[in-house]
Amino acid sequence: MNKYSDLQMMVYASLLAALMAVGAYLSIPIGPVPIVLQSLFILLAGLLLGRVWGTASVGIYLLAGAFGLPVFAGGTGGIGRFFGPTGGYLLGFLPAVYIIGLMSEKRKNKVLTDVFAMICGSLLIYAFGVSWLKVITGMELNKAVAVGMIPFLPGDALKIAAAAFIARSVRPLIGNGRS
Amino acid sequence: MAELTSFSYRPGHSFIHKIDTRFKLLFIVIIGFSSLKASMSGILLLSLIAVCGLVMVGISLRQVVRDLYIFIFFLIFIFAVRAFSAGGVALTNPFGMSLTYDGLIEGSLVCLRIILIVLIGLLFTSTTRTAEVKAAIDWILRPFPFIPGGRVATMTGLMMRFIPVIMEQARETSSAQKARSIENRKNPFYRMVKFSIPLLERTFYNAGRISMAMEARCYSGKRTGQKLSSNINDWISLLVIISLCIISFLV
Repeated sequence: MNKYSDLQMMVYASLLAALMAVGAYLSIPIGPVPIVLQSLFILLAGLLLGRVWGTASVGIYLLAGAFGLPVFAGGTGGIGRFFGPTGGYLLGFLPAVYIIGLMSEKRKNKVLTDVFAMICGSLLIYAFGVSWLKVITGMELNKAVAVGMIPFLPGDALKIAAAAFIARSVRPLIGNGRS
Repeated sequence: MAELTSFSYRPGHSFIHKIDTRFKLLFIVIIGFSSLKASMSGILLLSLIAVCGLVMVGISLRQVVRDLYIFIFFLIFIFAVRAFSAGGVALTNPFGMSLTYDGLIEGSLVCLRIILIVLIGLLFTSTTRTAEVKAAIDWILRPFPFIPGGRVATMTGLMMRFIPVIMEQARETSSAQKARSIENRKNPFYRMVKFSIPLLERTFYNAGRISMAMEARCYSGKRTGQKLSSNINDWISLLVIISLCIISFLV
């Protein structure tokens, strides 16, 4: 990580935060349900920036959302979102990115490590998200899992595979444009 | 050079441009909270005012709809989920699900609320310079210890600066791929990878150049930011916004 200056990592972290924000509006239209790219960029933040700057970029993203800028999926913003039914997922992004960063920093550029890290991260997001959903709506646990986790799993698997692939080809580019 | 997206700053001298950024952020928070409690006609009223604001600033509504077309898809989805999941007396029963009157009302209320928030956010981003956002966030975070306010403010400013760049790049990439008939490829993995890699490549290159430019100008956290000042107009508009929000509860 010392290879790059703090300033450079700061700019990249802001870029990833912006990608997360735009990701709520970017999608790839295939079939009836388009694939929204936001969670892909959250996984990539951990992989590309490491734990410190990855967490910082998610923090900036959440802060901008808390100020009410329309950066969350579905377009709504505002601090009220954290207390809504989906608030747990948003808060879960922070530890998830930290874990992904931590694990992928340990063994650089190993695809299997990356994939395993992302699986752990996604599970963390669901742990926060589903338990919060359960508390807020008073659903039973198995119903909360059925609504808040099962439908998203195929998409997540796809995104984890794609993120591992993308990280491999984007990592060498960090620091490019400076020569 | 392609045209601008509606997410970027537009220079101008309108009334909204001149309001203090701290007040603008406060307005967003107030309107966001009151939209949770406001009645349907109240939200319609607030949205109407937001649309007037957008027209005043000079953003064409057609452009907004074009930039957010995927978001409209999202809205329809949310509306459908709400409309079919609420309780009450069923109006019709297509596909074995019951469409209720309560559901229709609730669905449109939720969608209107989201539209209002997006319009307000758009109004904010198109009338506020990055430097002003940075100064305002620095000011807000000053009382909190352990948070490097200056750095957080710079990052937020940079993030807002990157959003239109990414939108533009995404549009360019997807039209270039459409022109090469990518739509024949149905594999979602392939599509996702082939879309993201050029997007990330270009935007990372851009970000690298920005960091180099900042370094060349000896950027450091100790820099004096832009001075913000509020005047009587800001307080008057605060009063107007608060009373509008109270009206939106009542109507």
